[in-house]
Amino acid sequence: MNKKRALWMVLFVATAVVFATGTALAKDWKPTKAIEIIAPAGPGGGWDMLARTVQKALTDEKLVDKPIIVTNKPGGGGATGWTYLKGKKGHGEYLAATSPLILQNNLLGKSELTYNDVTPIACLMAEWETIAVKADAPWKTGKEFFEAIKKNPASVPVGVGPTLGNDDHIQFLTIAQAFNVDPKTVKFVVFPKTAAEQIPAILGGHIGAITISMAETLEQVKAGKLRLLGVSSPERLAVIPDVPTWKEQGIDLVFPHWRGLIAAPGLTDEQLKYWDTVIGKMVQTKTWKDLLKKLDWDSFYQNAADHKVFLAESYKSQDNLLTSVGLKK
Amino acid sequence: MEAIFDHLMLGLKVAITPLNILWVFIGGLLGTIIGMLPGLGPATGVAILIPITYNMNPATALITMCAVYYGAMFGGSRASIMINTPGDASAIVSCFDGYPMTKNGRAGEALAISAYASFIGGIIGMVFLVFLTEPVAMAALKFGPAEKFSLLLFALTATVTLSEGSILKGFIAMGLGFMLSTIGIDGQSGSIRFCYGLDALQDGIDFLVAMIGLYAVAEVFKNYGSLHVKYSVDSKTIGKVWVSWKEFKRCLLPMIRSGPLGFFVGVLPGMGGTIATFLSYATEKGLSKHPERFGKGEIIGLAAPESANNACSGGAMVPLLTLGIPGSGTTAVMLAALMMLGIRPGPILFEQHPEIAWGVIASLLVGNVILLVINLPLAVPLVQLLRVPLRIMLPMILGLGYMGTYFLNYSSFDFILVSIFALGGYLLSKLSVPIPPLVLALILGGMTEQTFRNAMTISDGNVATFFVKPISLTFLILAAISLVYSLWRQKKLSSPHQ
Repeated sequence: MNKKRALWMVLFVATAVVFATGTALAKDWKPTKAIEIIAPAGPGGGWDMLARTVQKALTDEKLVDKPIIVTNKPGGGGATGWTYLKGKKGHGEYLAATSPLILQNNLLGKSELTYNDVTPIACLMAEWETIAVKADAPWKTGKEFFEAIKKNPASVPVGVGPTLGNDDHIQFLTIAQAFNVDPKTVKFVVFPKTAAEQIPAILGGHIGAITISMAETLEQVKAGKLRLLGVSSPERLAVIPDVPTWKEQGIDLVFPHWRGLIAAPGLTDEQLKYWDTVIGKMVQTKTWKDLLKKLDWDSFYQNAADHKVFLAESYKSQDNLLTSVGLKK
Repeated sequence: MEAIFDHLMLGLKVAITPLNILWVFIGGLLGTIIGMLPGLGPATGVAILIPITYNMNPATALITMCAVYYGAMFGGSRASIMINTPGDASAIVSCFDGYPMTKNGRAGEALAISAYASFIGGIIGMVFLVFLTEPVAMAALKFGPAEKFSLLLFALTATVTLSEGSILKGFIAMGLGFMLSTIGIDGQSGSIRFCYGLDALQDGIDFLVAMIGLYAVAEVFKNYGSLHVKYSVDSKTIGKVWVSWKEFKRCLLPMIRSGPLGFFVGVLPGMGGTIATFLSYATEKGLSKHPERFGKGEIIGLAAPESANNACSGGAMVPLLTLGIPGSGTTAVMLAALMMLGIRPGPILFEQHPEIAWGVIASLLVGNVILLVINLPLAVPLVQLLRVPLRIMLPMILGLGYMGTYFLNYSSFDFILVSIFALGGYLLSKLSVPIPPLVLALILGGMTEQTFRNAMTISDGNVATFFVKPISLTFLILAAISLVYSLWRQKKLSSPHQ
């Protein structure tokens, strides 16, 4: 009797093993250990928040069955974290947050690494850029503002951070060019701590304008302390219905400050497909949509294939722009 | 006035629920422990908490994070006092007199006064937060690049002049610190400075790495040089965590004076605890009838900066609550966590969510009481560590130092840096070059440079901008006074008695 039972057990276990490994051996791939999302900056910044929102959405919606950890690897404007990711060649359990900096660092000669050294997975969200002035400033539109700069560039110092050559800066340069202002005459004041220094500097009247992500200014706008001259979105934004887009003001500029996800280089097609599917499902979930709303982020989803094309195009257009304004030597 | 008390009562109602008190306790304990470990500061502590706060209501989340922040401030100086290893930049000054006190066998007293001072500073910070948030936030806006530069210059000058020994050596140390601070990619021009082709240097030198090397590891070297010398530790009094009423009374005024100073410095975005503690130390040394006792275990030299430090974290809440911008690394993490909960602090937070704003302010009161209760008993086992013989203790400090270094950036290159700083620190101390000006210049160098450039950009290269702005001019005059005063004092000391 016992023998028989043991035999049944063997049969059962053997069947289980064969079928379990069978599914694993088939073309589907699944993470086999904890998933690591790298935020290539310290806690509290945009990349960190993206990594943590993805972690929360994937976990709460049970889209992955392995635990997810977020690690902060600050340094080199993202380069430290991305180089770490590059070293995980072929491992599907590593993701990292990115932004246009992965292009700009390379274009400006700060880093060798480009988007070709990693596997783009998706673009997820965008914030929109704006130019803000004090609520009692004389300029109401982009045109008035840039006319004033053209007349006397020294009278309007413009705050930008954390470095020159980032999205905030590029937005300003593009618009300046469109209004026939020589970008080289603009007085840029660089604030390494970004909004934390830019907002008090403009409220205190130490500078004339800031070029910045719209969300950073939102509370001040609601409180009636700052005025936005325009926004880089394709259409007016629901949170600031009175602010015209740059497009409405006759400037051919739609400029998302996007963030997305990349994975290690050398992934198999199955690994890429896994993440493409999972992230594609994630952006449809309520948890993800709620989080975007809370953070005032706009959805800006591109799947892996689209995102790769988008990166290649952005690289080219930013190359042209940075060269034409003299930032790329 | 009545409205303020109504609000405060509302806040207390939010803060004093069993759940929130429990979280303040947990957060405070966690923060204290994290603060004690070299390299791990309040920002790390709050970041660890983020996943836990996902499922809390926003008020509880913010209260818990504040408790960690305050806890780390309480705990940060423990390692400074016990093993001359600051847990965070704002705990550097606690080494100056805290560690000598330990060497004199007064570790228990040092730990006790540091807990009391932290408490008093925290309460002062809270009171100011209740009554002065609005006007102070407005006043802080007057600080543009020029004003900030002059304040930085004053803090640096004061530090040089307060350091032991010759002022010339102090300036040499400051120069070294400035030179080290220029290493890395320059944000304004994008050029790579003094990296010698090493990618690891592109972000500059992390001052915490420098601090661990210059203080902790160098201290180990120094002790190996004198292993045969025994601490003058009296095993009977060693375990007593207690400060006499007489000593406490002597510290009371300095502690109260340092509170407002710390608070105001804390309000300025990006300035924070480092400047507050250095300035409060310089002030007390300047006011003291016995400045020569400072640096040799003067209890006031520990009490004053500890108070300033904790009042400063109250000040750092002002820009967060009124402008919605982070005044320090820690409040930046808090802001991120709040935003994920759907709360965006800003000018209208007090109107939109009074329960959050006032709940947090009230929780600071509760938190400070709880932290005092946690920290005094916690000091008892800490003091027992002194019974461990040096030959066992030193390798442990070394291990802790290198571990802390790795935790900062997960970079093995930092091991090399920390070793270089340790050797350099040992060499400098043999040459009796003071370390504090070097560390402070390294921490503040980048900011000093950038504020100077920004002020120059705004004024079209006119240096007069520093002299025509009243706030800026005031700090420049203060800097000049502190320099002249200390030169005069040095001359008086070095001239033979007539």
